[in-house]
Amino acid sequence: MASLAGGLRHLRCHGQLVKPQWQQVLAVRPKIAPKMGMRQMTVESNGPTRSADAPASTEPIALPFVGVHHARQVPTSPSYFTREPRFNDLYIRLTQLLNKYHRLPTLPANEAPTLPWMKVDQIRQQLGEPVKSSHFAKMIRVGKRLNLIDPSLRPNEIDIVLRQLTRNIDPYVNNIRPITIDKFGRAIGVGKRKESTARAFVVEGTGEVLVNGKPLNEVFGRVHDRESALWALTATQRMDKYNVWALVRGGGTTGQAEALTLAVAKALLVHEPALKPALRKAGCVTRDPRAVERKKHGRVKARKSPAWVKR
Amino acid sequence: MASANSLRSLMRPSIPVAPRLYPIISSSFSTTTALSAVTGRAPKSSVVTSTKMKKNFKKGGGSTSAPMKKPNPGERKAFRKRIQLSNNSALAVEGVEVLKADTLAQSSSAGKMFSIPDEIIDQLRTLEAFKATQSWNLFRKPHFLARKEAVELGSRLENAAKKKEAEKIVLTGSKLSGKSLAVLQAISYALLNKWVVINIPEAQDLTNGNTDYAQIPNTEPAVYSQPVYVLRLLQTIYKANKAVLESLKVEKDWPLTGLQKGNSLAELILTCKESEFAWTTFNALWTELTFPGRPPVLFSLDGLSHISKLSQYRDPAFNLIHSHDLALVRTFVDALSGKTKLPNGGAVIASTSGNNMQFHPSQELVLAQLEAGQLGKPIPTPDPYEKNYDERVYESLKNTSVLRIEGINHDDTKTLMGYWAASGLLRNVVNNHTIREKWALAGNGNVGEMERVALLTMRM
Repeated sequence: MASLAGGLRHLRCHGQLVKPQWQQVLAVRPKIAPKMGMRQMTVESNGPTRSADAPASTEPIALPFVGVHHARQVPTSPSYFTREPRFNDLYIRLTQLLNKYHRLPTLPANEAPTLPWMKVDQIRQQLGEPVKSSHFAKMIRVGKRLNLIDPSLRPNEIDIVLRQLTRNIDPYVNNIRPITIDKFGRAIGVGKRKESTARAFVVEGTGEVLVNGKPLNEVFGRVHDRESALWALTATQRMDKYNVWALVRGGGTTGQAEALTLAVAKALLVHEPALKPALRKAGCVTRDPRAVERKKHGRVKARKSPAWVKR
Repeated sequence: MASANSLRSLMRPSIPVAPRLYPIISSSFSTTTALSAVTGRAPKSSVVTSTKMKKNFKKGGGSTSAPMKKPNPGERKAFRKRIQLSNNSALAVEGVEVLKADTLAQSSSAGKMFSIPDEIIDQLRTLEAFKATQSWNLFRKPHFLARKEAVELGSRLENAAKKKEAEKIVLTGSKLSGKSLAVLQAISYALLNKWVVINIPEAQDLTNGNTDYAQIPNTEPAVYSQPVYVLRLLQTIYKANKAVLESLKVEKDWPLTGLQKGNSLAELILTCKESEFAWTTFNALWTELTFPGRPPVLFSLDGLSHISKLSQYRDPAFNLIHSHDLALVRTFVDALSGKTKLPNGGAVIASTSGNNMQFHPSQELVLAQLEAGQLGKPIPTPDPYEKNYDERVYESLKNTSVLRIEGINHDDTKTLMGYWAASGLLRNVVNNHTIREKWALAGNGNVGEMERVALLTMRM
């Protein structure tokens, strides 16, 4: 890719942007090369080999390479000798398009059409080539730049190429299924927090709570955790109207309790959708995205730096 | 250090003074001397840099901490075990009925609050029926809620006294659910009805090897008595049941004690001044109490699992002694299993402990079987791969009945929370929502947890 980028360096020169590409000039040549996906480059371009004054009666045998003293086969694509030729071809094509159309007016990034961009794994699978993720990121960057071009002015060839960079998904398939109350009167809500997942089965009742088949005090030793588990019902004054039967898996006590908050709130919203603003105010609607920050190299933990040692 | 200071005081002024200013007197023709003089004579004394101080102070301790008096021997334990039954900051609750002799046996008293009458408070205190973990110290006077199970317990005690049979009950339930309080309620019923009450407040004191023990002579297999513990128990029995025991005359002739025919049982206890005769005296008392015409006896013990396992005591061959080979434990276990009859009626109540629990497979099995039998459910079978089953424990418990104590219902919660609010401890409005909320947070009505949730958790 690096060598390829070096080969493409000439494209960055504005003077050459308008000129046709060098392969295209040679593509006019008679059909000698395409059999092997190769073309021949002549060292000396002598023009047509047949002499005009040859007699027409004797069927002239076209002698190839007459007058060609030094010849070697050169691949059609400059990426022929790279490790990922198909990927590099795509990249070259994108770069050419960008060079060609980079003067077209663009939209701000937030107004550009949203595309489901290909993931690196998918492109590896599709092309069958070991694409580096950094190279892939470079390509996606070019693709995103092309996507910024105003759709009304965008030439069709850009759309065709961008289609290769997007996943083939149907946006209408991925609908959020609304939770319904089943024939037993249960609404099932799912909540997550940190590593924990909770499923809450909420039915109309008298305020009984069982978590993993145990009463709340056996599951959560801390009173604060118990309160946060039932906060959706407490905050909306609905503790006396519903029973909760919940399953919690994974994580620690705080995570489990707060996963339960979300699960119970979602299930409660099915019974009473009008409670949504109240629950949002109580902080029970939004999933808390905070999770453990990853450890970094050169540090003891995520942020902690090692102790300073003299020498 | 002092000497260094004194030496320094000779050399330098102790009061910091302002650094001297040196005027630059420069001739018009030469600046060299003046400038060099200023730089050369710059005051670099320690007086000027006196702001520089020692930075590393010793953390904690040292001379800065105030001298603390160490607590006397036993003071800390006394503080830990202290029972405080009143709190002047709490409001007095009006209109609560006082517990009477037959109150707990009446089904109408279920779900009501009752105050413990003053005359039995001292007796209950002597018997150590109040526990340090119960929050009596929050309220003006000790009250309790007569829940459904307490009324059931009371009526069973009443029946036992009427029929002159022994009621053998094991109280179980989850942590903080009120098992020890149920024992307290049973004891108060017994005291108000002039029963003789023997209470072992902590079974672990008998088996954890903290009191001395001795083999009782001429016993085969060996039985061990715990003289000091039994002496203390005798004194407790005397103090708590003084009025009843003084009215009972000794019927049998007890050698060694020096008693005469007309003496009372209280005097029988009082003859025992030393621990050597403690077990003999207890045995005599226990035998006397089983003679016809005596009042019913309540024998209660808290922490059943501690007497189901091997004790921490060793026999002469250095093997661990089974708890049932301790004489006092054996007396209790024989009464619990029905081996010793109580011809005057009475009750033997063993309560399991939620927090201080020792898992014992036989005890778990027999209690589960009894409970399933009472509820008409399929009886659990022993685990064929379990090797720690103990036949003695199984035999000792198989004739009992299990009374499970779990959470209270919503109506009882309302009564209890009304009492808390009247005492000024609960600030919330006691409405349906508050009741259900605390009830759910306390694990479906667990009373101890409810106290923790509603009263003991600090809210800011």
